[in-house]
Amino acid sequence: MNCKKYSTWFVVPALAIFTLFFLIPMISSLFFSMTVWNFDSFTFNGVKNFELFFTDDSLSIGIKNTIVYAVLTCLLKVILAFLIAIFLTGKIKTKNFLRSVVFFPNLVSTVAVGITFSALMHPSKGLINKVLEFINIPAVDWLGNTNLALFSVIATDVWKGVGIATVIYIAGIQSIDRSYYEAAAIDGATGWEQLKCITLPLVRPAMNSVIILAFIGGMRSFDLIWAMTGGGPGFATDVMASIIYKQYAAGYYGLSTAGNVIMFVLIAGLAYPLQKYLLSKEVR
Amino acid sequence: MKRTKIMSIIVAAALSVTMLASCATTTATTTAEATAAAETTKAATDTTVAETTAAADTAGEYKEATLTLLIDSDQPLAGLEAVCALAKEKLGITVEIETRLGGSDGDNIVKTRLASGDMADLCVYNSGALLSALNPTEYFIDISGQDFVSKLDDTYKGTVTIDSKTYGIPVSSTQAGAVLYNKEMYAKYNLTVPKTWDEFIANCQVLKDAGETALIGAFADSWTSQVAFLGDNYNVISAAPNFPADLEAGTAKYASTPSALRSWEKLAETTPFYNKDYLATTYDDACDMLANGEGAHWFMLTMALSNIYGLYGNDVVNNIGVFAIPGDDASDNGLTVWMPSSIYGNRNSDKAEDIIRFMQFYVSDEALNTYAATILPDGPYCVKGYSLPDNAYQAVAKDMQAYFDAGKTGTALEFMTSVKGADCPAICVECGTGQTTGAEAAAKYDEDCYKQAIQLGLDWAE
Repeated sequence: MNCKKYSTWFVVPALAIFTLFFLIPMISSLFFSMTVWNFDSFTFNGVKNFELFFTDDSLSIGIKNTIVYAVLTCLLKVILAFLIAIFLTGKIKTKNFLRSVVFFPNLVSTVAVGITFSALMHPSKGLINKVLEFINIPAVDWLGNTNLALFSVIATDVWKGVGIATVIYIAGIQSIDRSYYEAAAIDGATGWEQLKCITLPLVRPAMNSVIILAFIGGMRSFDLIWAMTGGGPGFATDVMASIIYKQYAAGYYGLSTAGNVIMFVLIAGLAYPLQKYLLSKEVR
Repeated sequence: MKRTKIMSIIVAAALSVTMLASCATTTATTTAEATAAAETTKAATDTTVAETTAAADTAGEYKEATLTLLIDSDQPLAGLEAVCALAKEKLGITVEIETRLGGSDGDNIVKTRLASGDMADLCVYNSGALLSALNPTEYFIDISGQDFVSKLDDTYKGTVTIDSKTYGIPVSSTQAGAVLYNKEMYAKYNLTVPKTWDEFIANCQVLKDAGETALIGAFADSWTSQVAFLGDNYNVISAAPNFPADLEAGTAKYASTPSALRSWEKLAETTPFYNKDYLATTYDDACDMLANGEGAHWFMLTMALSNIYGLYGNDVVNNIGVFAIPGDDASDNGLTVWMPSSIYGNRNSDKAEDIIRFMQFYVSDEALNTYAATILPDGPYCVKGYSLPDNAYQAVAKDMQAYFDAGKTGTALEFMTSVKGADCPAICVECGTGQTTGAEAAAKYDEDCYKQAIQLGLDWAE
């Protein structure tokens, strides 16, 4: 029976690389996350590292902040990008130029964006506060106020990431068959009704991609936070990735690996069901 | 079917061979280097033996070599560069200085480069607790057998010695963690140097009421927030002399030891006096502020004096005074002293004897004279028998020297025990900004030390 056109032996090279660079490190990480490790020797200490992540305040704040960060950036990107995409697929003359402008922040290095925005957000010398002063609004300590710092970073992340979400939405909207709109126009549907009943359901696949990408990206985010606040002030903007980095820098390699395992479980545990749910809701 | 099977085997084999080939080349070069190094060391050993039997203070023979040195960018470099220039002239050793970040990013860089074998020949890093976190037996040259090691001050030597093996030489003078204050502002408001903490807070209140910035905070560089806490160590040890030993054994905690808890409470009391944008002020900004009279007090290591001297010159730096962080007892005021960072030799370098030659030169009188001529000391030197130059900063020669003469000094805790939590800067920032109370910060720091204790293999009950 000639069902299989290719021998399974073709898988071997790829499988070898996958095992060597993904499976083996993953298993050894799982092992080392349960030890106190300094690269040369290790002492087994069970689930102590994981316990610390849930009991120690400075570590458990990372879990909370990561989820807040991921959910908020995802939500904002999905909504804002959709609105911008609708605008950019309409009848405007400078469409192409505007699309490049919207996409531009995505091309810049994240660290450069972080440094620029922390300079802009400086409480007295920063441009944002100077503008606020000009219109007689009192200055805000964007990155120094512990209640506000995380949201300032989220805003910067959305500014940077909305471009690529918009591009995905534009692709999705443009793939909707024109005939639906024509049929709706003939039936007398208003622009708003067209948006609600045609665009929104049919752009679902694009929206699902944006949701998943934004969510996972938000959960893994590190460089922007590190460049803007270094996890500070205190521990206010610490996310899992920056905590793992700090533990690594301190030489607590076992603890850092445990953090990585937790992050992996968290992302897989949240993203996988999310994706299944979204795929089941897709139209056709 | 057979052809595809053969093809896949060939491809897999090609893949593995390429990977192994790249590994093989690196081993080949390292073995070549090692054999070359072995030959040169053998030839040089005879000359080194001859050198050490000669007089201890001579510059050593002239032999061309190049050494690389890694140092953090927060340290003032002028003195080191001057000594290196002299070393090139006298010893023929050219030192290529490479800078890295300071703070925890810098720690990360040092640890990663040591682990990957990519470290420079000479590495400048802290002494004391932070050194033991680097695993020096593995990475640094043991210099205990060298002659020049006997010239080093014993307290200093204790901070670079682990398991009776000495690893480093001091890169600069000692310094103190204390309160730097602007003498002009003190004169203007008729303030006197406070002998108790309450007097200090009263001084700050006077300044604040007059519209001045009482206290400078440089919290954008979070490591600076620790000085107010760590510099109080003299007062902690005065009241609880066994604290370091008990802390290491896990029987004493910050939250339950009154004098240690007091340090945190004092830090929490500083919150209302900071300058307006203290969370965005960097170390360099703060040096400017203190020099220009924009702030009256700054909890800082006296190395800031050298930064200010480098930027503003003699007159400005002599306007800065130093007083020890006051405790609650007016009769017991002592300075908390920081041992200098040290230069360590890379054990995996093939230039071991050049490294030793350079180290020996660095602690010789002529090198120290050159260093002192470029950067005045921030405190007394760690080399026995070498005294402060005549043109040392007023703050050092008069204010600090008074504490040394009276015997009222103690080293910082990180030189007495290897337990120092890695999140100390963040916890200090939280406490200093008023996000946590002194007691909460002490408890948090205890948790942090506990994490470190696990890593160090100490058996703590908690």
